[in-house]
Amino acid sequence: MTMKLLLITAACFFLSALPAFGEEIKLPAGVSDEEALRLGEKMYREGILPSGEPMQAIVMGDIPVDGRMFTCDDCHQRSGLGSVEGTVITWPTNGKELYQPRRKTGAWRPPEGDAEKMNDRRNLPRYWQIEDARPAYTDRSLARVLLTGVDPAGRKLNPIMPLYLLGEEDMSILVHYLKNLSVEPAPGVDDSTIRFATVVAGNVAPEDRQAMLTTLQAHIDAHNSQSRHQERRSASGPFFKTEMYQAYRRLQLDVWELHGPEETWPAQLENYYAQEPVFALVGGLVAGSWRPVHEFCEQHKIPAIFPLTDFPVVAESDWYTLYFSKGLYQSGEAAARFLHAHERLADDAPVVVVFRENTESAALRRGFAESWRRFARPEPRYVSLGPDDRTTGEFWLDIARSHRPAVLLLWLGAEDLGGMDSLSGEEAVPKIFLSSEMLNYSFNSVPGNIREFAYLTYPRSLPETWDKRMLPVTRWLQARDIPVTNLEIQAKMYFLGWMLPGAIGYMRSEFFRDYFLEGFDMMTDQDYAIAVYPRLTFGAGQRYASKGCYIVRLTGGPDPRPVPLSDWVIH
Amino acid sequence: MRTIRYSFFLPFFLPALFFLLAGQVEAAPKYKRSVEKYTVPDVTLVNQDGERVPLRSLLEGDKPVILDFIYGTCTTICPVLSIGFSHFQKQLGADAGNVRLVSISIDPDNDTPQVMKEYLARYNAREGWDFLSGKREDVIQVMKAFDAYVVNKMNHFPLTILHAPGSKHWIRITELLGSSDLMREYELLLKK
Repeated sequence: MTMKLLLITAACFFLSALPAFGEEIKLPAGVSDEEALRLGEKMYREGILPSGEPMQAIVMGDIPVDGRMFTCDDCHQRSGLGSVEGTVITWPTNGKELYQPRRKTGAWRPPEGDAEKMNDRRNLPRYWQIEDARPAYTDRSLARVLLTGVDPAGRKLNPIMPLYLLGEEDMSILVHYLKNLSVEPAPGVDDSTIRFATVVAGNVAPEDRQAMLTTLQAHIDAHNSQSRHQERRSASGPFFKTEMYQAYRRLQLDVWELHGPEETWPAQLENYYAQEPVFALVGGLVAGSWRPVHEFCEQHKIPAIFPLTDFPVVAESDWYTLYFSKGLYQSGEAAARFLHAHERLADDAPVVVVFRENTESAALRRGFAESWRRFARPEPRYVSLGPDDRTTGEFWLDIARSHRPAVLLLWLGAEDLGGMDSLSGEEAVPKIFLSSEMLNYSFNSVPGNIREFAYLTYPRSLPETWDKRMLPVTRWLQARDIPVTNLEIQAKMYFLGWMLPGAIGYMRSEFFRDYFLEGFDMMTDQDYAIAVYPRLTFGAGQRYASKGCYIVRLTGGPDPRPVPLSDWVIH
Repeated sequence: MRTIRYSFFLPFFLPALFFLLAGQVEAAPKYKRSVEKYTVPDVTLVNQDGERVPLRSLLEGDKPVILDFIYGTCTTICPVLSIGFSHFQKQLGADAGNVRLVSISIDPDNDTPQVMKEYLARYNAREGWDFLSGKREDVIQVMKAFDAYVVNKMNHFPLTILHAPGSKHWIRITELLGSSDLMREYELLLKK
């Protein structure tokens, strides 16, 4: 008991040192504002102290935590605007929210002008005009809540909020970071409008361009058609709906057309952005890789939502582009998963990849190879076809006899499958993998006598459900007199337009780009409005919404159809 | 700015808070607990090593089981549940292998063996803690069997389920637990 009292006394004495902060923080000598933001970000996002050691904390009253397991942004999110998960509400920790009082009445603020004060619809009834839930934080009270879990109103926070054991200098850096987190709204938003752009780059087919732009614009028009009512509500709606109504903005869609060689695209993007900054990019269509746009968005921290590309940047840590899928990379990955987990291929079974050097096969090769490596399997052998090489029966027999493959990955187009039927006469016919995407989903090029050995990657909804799933999209397009020029593109943009209001609404009036992305992260998994994929799933930091790819086999006969051999997601 | 440096007191702070807060825990147990009967579905899931795991034999084996439902990119509830598991294993030390900890993914599309392995590594999981995923339909069946199903994973709730070998009963706790709470429940389970 004596020991317990001693320890309590020690804790009290420790807390008494807090006045060292005063109301205003001072950073440690020699640490600039920029450096403090960088160090604070590392604490907030990675749980790492400026010394390189992990932060230490206690959660749920008695569980010691290594800060790397459980970072501030896990709950409060990168924006600092917080999250709601089931029964747990995580309050905002961004500077804008922390350093002003939290009203018990949500976003309602006492009217400022005389005219507003006279307006009954803008005022709370007297009995609701009660004290704040908490006063504004100061640097000192912010440090105290991080150390003790007691807020400036004297309330104890839920024990799920860790108590951080931070030294004075580390605390000053974290407080400085929080004070500056999500303070100024992002560019591209004003009092009336949120401005978006879509990128069209390179030699894109005119009908594809039209398919994307008309569908996106139809969604924007539908949203803006509510403006007259919404703006009236925003100006004179009742006090208890202030937060919802005043968040309303018209949407503006700019088209950023990029011309010339790919190397010039970054400068063109910079130029567009300098002329008229946008809040985010939506959709987008480029000939080839999306990388130049992806890198531009990472650099400027601009969200890019659902670009139409088979060649996204596949990166673990990049943040700002939300893709439909990993494109052809994902198909290569699915082939590897299927062979490893489903077929249980022997560890030493030889795998041979035949390909031509092009963007499609490069993505498939990389997807397969990286997964294969993760399974600790040996590198496949590669056979590259030159521009003048033609595939014949002899060529395939030579591959089969010289390499003795257990698996042949043919990342080739339909024109390169000639003579493949010669393989069917071999004593041991390898498993042959093809890409539906590279065959343009046209399967007659796969010879009938090798279909029983052939497996295809199939990264979209199966044909038996395709028409049914597309029906709402075609009806929606018809109702708006939009010609169907590329239904797959239109179905994807239909889905984007269907999701967009949810993510915009999630932000309320907190127009921060990270918060916008978090709106998508928090979305319910979708299997209804998306026609192209069986389902899309979301989660914090998940940047490829489609996680699956069927492996299918073809039926015989003149009109081969795919039959799934795997689940949508292969574990 | 005053120059008092309180880092001197840091070593005292943590134990002091332990005592302060432990006192509160003793005074008022604060979680919802019930005794339930569940039938484990006969499904095969996949663990963090890519191994197929028949769920029924895993959960109804010869070891006590503590089960939760989590996912790899969860923002709040799962990290706290997993920190609880991690600390529980640490407290048990050499005895950690005597109890089976099982986390079942409620986001099976994203939680591949690779994701699950990385997740467990982040929480310093020891032998005896498995993270399971699998076919979406199978996972939903398991969630429903344990009354843990939510349509939207963002609406999930903290749930810890304990089971003693051979028992027909399962202890269901629908709150986040502190370390002493989980240990007490485990000890109660062993006494039965």
